[in-house]
Formats: sequence, structure tokens, C-alpha cells
Amino acid sequence: MRRTYSNLLRDPIFGLLLVTPMLLWLTFTLMIPMIDAFRISFTSVRYLGAPGVFVGLSNFKRVLADPEFWQSVVHTLSWTVVNTAIQFLGSIGVAIVLNQEFWGKNIVRNWIILPWVLPTIVLAIVWKWILDPSHGIVNHILFSFGLVDKPVEFLSSPRYALLTAVLINCWRWTPYFAVIVLAALQTVPRELYEAATIDGASRLKNFMHVTVPSISSVLKVVLLNSFLWSANIFDTIWLLTRGGPLSSTTTMPIYIYSKAFRNFRFGEAAAASVLMFLFLGVLAVLYLTKVLREEELK
Amino acid sequence: MRVLRSVLKYILAISVLSIFMGPMLWVAVNSFKTVSELLSKPTLVPRTFTFEHYQQLLKRTSFLRYFANSVIVAVATATITAVIGALGAYSVFRCRYPGRNLLFKMLISSYALPKVLVLVPLYVALAKLNIIDSRTGIVLVHVMLVVPFSVWTLRSFFQNVPVEIEEAALIDGCNRLQTVFKVFVPLAAPGIAAIWLNAFLMSWSEYLFASTLIITDSVKTLPVGLAYFLQEYSIEWGIMLAASVLVAVPAVVGFAFAGKYFIQGLTAGGVKG
Repeated sequence: MRRTYSNLLRDPIFGLLLVTPMLLWLTFTLMIPMIDAFRISFTSVRYLGAPGVFVGLSNFKRVLADPEFWQSVVHTLSWTVVNTAIQFLGSIGVAIVLNQEFWGKNIVRNWIILPWVLPTIVLAIVWKWILDPSHGIVNHILFSFGLVDKPVEFLSSPRYALLTAVLINCWRWTPYFAVIVLAALQTVPRELYEAATIDGASRLKNFMHVTVPSISSVLKVVLLNSFLWSANIFDTIWLLTRGGPLSSTTTMPIYIYSKAFRNFRFGEAAAASVLMFLFLGVLAVLYLTKVLREEELK
Repeated sequence: MRVLRSVLKYILAISVLSIFMGPMLWVAVNSFKTVSELLSKPTLVPRTFTFEHYQQLLKRTSFLRYFANSVIVAVATATITAVIGALGAYSVFRCRYPGRNLLFKMLISSYALPKVLVLVPLYVALAKLNIIDSRTGIVLVHVMLVVPFSVWTLRSFFQNVPVEIEEAALIDGCNRLQTVFKVFVPLAAPGIAAIWLNAFLMSWSEYLFASTLIITDSVKTLPVGLAYFLQEYSIEWGIMLAASVLVAVPAVVGFAFAGKYFIQGLTAGGVKG
């Protein structure tokens, strides 16, 4: 009797019916456009609505010969690597601080994620105001302590813009990952630490030999997500600097966007996005094999 | 030694809190200062408390219109995501059919994709279908952006609802659909609330697709409308600060109500449960 109901619950046709709306939605808004991106990358679309003319690999050749493209690759690499490193280490640090017992800990543990909850436009306004050369508080503080003799152009000098944008992006994402690491920390059984301490382990040893191995699968997910998501970020950079000054913050998503909607070279933009897809595809495969091996469906 | 440790703990906790909460509070305080105070030496508390910037924002800009558009788009996105995401997740995690595992893997991998890849094709396709420059087009895209992650988030919530309860309902004479809507959905409600809020926040914030797919001022969402002001050479700081506070409010209020489930959903995806 019980088996019958179990089987009824798992009725294949019913299952397929329920998944259909989502499947159709994603087919038309994600799958088909993805395939279309590859098609467009082989065509020349000079204005919208015109049927693209097949041009073979010439879009790819043009993009690969463009120094600005390679500059954007370098920027993407440094943007992503620095972001990932700071977010990864930062989130562990913040999680450890929040894992302590202190008054008001529950409120802090929930609300720490505020920077991530706020829309990107708010983040852009907040930081542009705080870092403003003439009216911002940071320059005011630096100035009144005599650390600088003229205001620092955090977001409008090619020297500092990328680093400033990285730090602002980390400000947003570190709490997000910290909340995830914190949840993992709380699953580590206390007895493990007690046993290790009895065996004479120091705090550092405790951390390296008890904490890290216990939460390593979560740390891997954090590392990979941080990397993949950082590489894809567009809005934070665009709203802060629009890729400038002098393309100093132009990462690949910014390059693609500008090619398409500033220069109206849709074919080249599609070609660049296919290249980015291939670069990240390698990582995505890594991600899949790593994460999915542990996440098989029962 | 113990006192020292305890003091250190609070110092660290307060620093962390001020790094991540301080900037927003600073902006909120400043939004109530007069223009002259805003542009002179920074003060911790406003000397004169004024709503001037808020009044100017509502009077001189299309802020209310953008706000209404954002509400429409975000609520529609969140609701559609909650419905099709919950049905999809139920199917993936509860039913058995060939291709289910592949589907699940594709869903997970899709949120690692560079979304900028579909920017140009979607622009072209929506232009052809004549739903470019409309709220409908934005909702179409926003649901796509957030639905895979929502299914992933629902996983642990759905696993916590015992199959036996549904079986009991079937024995009591409910049909298949009734078991889902009358028995399963109420029990999985926190998870569905979490994905609703997550989709709302994503849509409320989303800029890349909204800014490329919208041209007309009357259908602009908040991020698109405000980005225009941020681009001006002389930013009217008072108005921008007031705007950022008003844009933050719905996100903060939503989080205050459902933040618990939201965090639960977030951590369930990362921590194996």
C-alpha cells in the first residue's frame, strides 16, 4: 500500500507538467539567446532589425586584434583575483568575529548582510558621496590628519579607480559570504575543539586542523562562487566609473556592453562575450565537477 | 586576561559592524542636512534637520514614477519566480522522470554563466517581438536571471517536508494537485518566502538588462532612472542622498520581515543540509 502512494507521488507525467512553465521560460529567455549569441558572433549586424550578414571569423579576429580587449582581459583577471582573495579571507575573518558570543550577536549576524541587500545604485551613491574629492568624509579625514596635501581622486584617477572599485565590491560581497561561512562554522561540533584542546592544540592549530577541514566543502563553494560572480560583475563598476577613467576599470563585461551599446557593433560584442564564455567555461566545468559530485540528487 | 579577551571581542564586533553598516547610516544622516551644511565641513549630527531634499526629489524628478515601475517589475518578477520556481523545484526534488538529474545540473550551472552573453541576443529578440522598452520585457529577463538560484535555494526547505505527510493526504482522498497546494506549499512556505524576497531584491537592484532594454523615461526602473543623475557633472548631492535612502527602504523593510528565511535559504545552499 505504502509503495503505491510513494510511486503515485513520483508520477513522471505530473513531475514533467510541473516543471514545464520554468522549462519553457528558461528555453526562450536563456537557452535560445545563448545559442543565438554564437550565431550573432559570426555575423555583422550594423543596425538592429537588419538581418545579419555571415562574416565568418572576422568579428573574432577584430576583437582579438583590439588592444582594448586584451586590456579588459587583464583588468578582469586582476579584478577577479583580488576580489576573490579579499572576499574569501575577509569572509572567514568576519565569520570568526561574528561566531563569538557577544551581546546583540543575533541582530548583528542577520544585519551584517545589509551591503549585499542594498541595490547597486544605492551602493554607488553611498560610495561616490563618501569618496567625493571635495565633499567626501574620507578625504576630509585624510586631509585633517595631514596624510594628503590634495584630495585623493579615488574614483576619477586611473591610478586608484580599479582598486577603489575592487574594495567597494568586496565591501558588498564579504558579508554575503561571511554569513555562509558563519553558518558552516556553527555546524562544527564543539567536542572536536575540546578534544583537540585537551590534546594540547593551540588556537591556531585548532583552526587549521579542526575548523578548516570541517568546513572545507563550504569554503570551496565560497571560493568558486566568489570567483565566478566577481568575473561577471557589471553594474557595480559601471555605476561607479563607467569603465573609466581612460578605460582603467574596463573589465570584459564593460567592454562587451560598450561595444554593443556605445559603438553598436553587435557582432563584435557577441564575439567578445563568446570568448568570455569560453574563458569562464573552463572554470564553470571545474565548478560543476567539484560541486556536483557532492550534490547528486537522491 | 579574560576581560581583555572580552573587550577585544567587542572592539572587533563593533569594527565589523561599523565597516559594513556605517556608510549607509552616514548617508542617511546626511540626507537630512541642508545644502550648505552638506557641502561644508562634515558634521556628525545635522545642525538643522530638513526634508528639503526629499521634497525636491519628489517635486523635480520622476522619482515616484520610477519607484512605481520598480515596484511593479519587482513584485511581478518575485511572484512569477515564486510560482514557477516552486513548481519546478517540487518537480526536480520530489518527482521521478528521465532527464531530471541533467535538468538539475543545468540549472545549477546556469548561474555560473556570464549573463552578458545573452545581453545582445535578448535585446535583438525583444526588439523583434516589440516588447523592448516595456516593463513586460524586463520581468521576462529578471525571472530568467533569478529562477535557477531559487530552485537551488528551495532544495533544503523542500527536503525538510516529509514525504509521509503528502502520502497521508493522498490516502485521505486529496488528488495530486491538492496535495501540492494544500499540504506541501503551506509547509514549505518559509522557503517560498525566501525566494520571493530574493527575487524581489534582485529585480529591485538589477541594472544591466534594465538599462539596455529600457529607453523611454516613463517605464524606467529606479536604478536606470537614478543612474542618469549620477552621471551628471555636478551631482546634486542632497537629492541623490535622499533618493538612495528611499531606494534602500523597501529592501530594508523586506529584509526586516523575511530576513530570517532569506538567510536560512542562503546558507542552506552553501552548507550541505
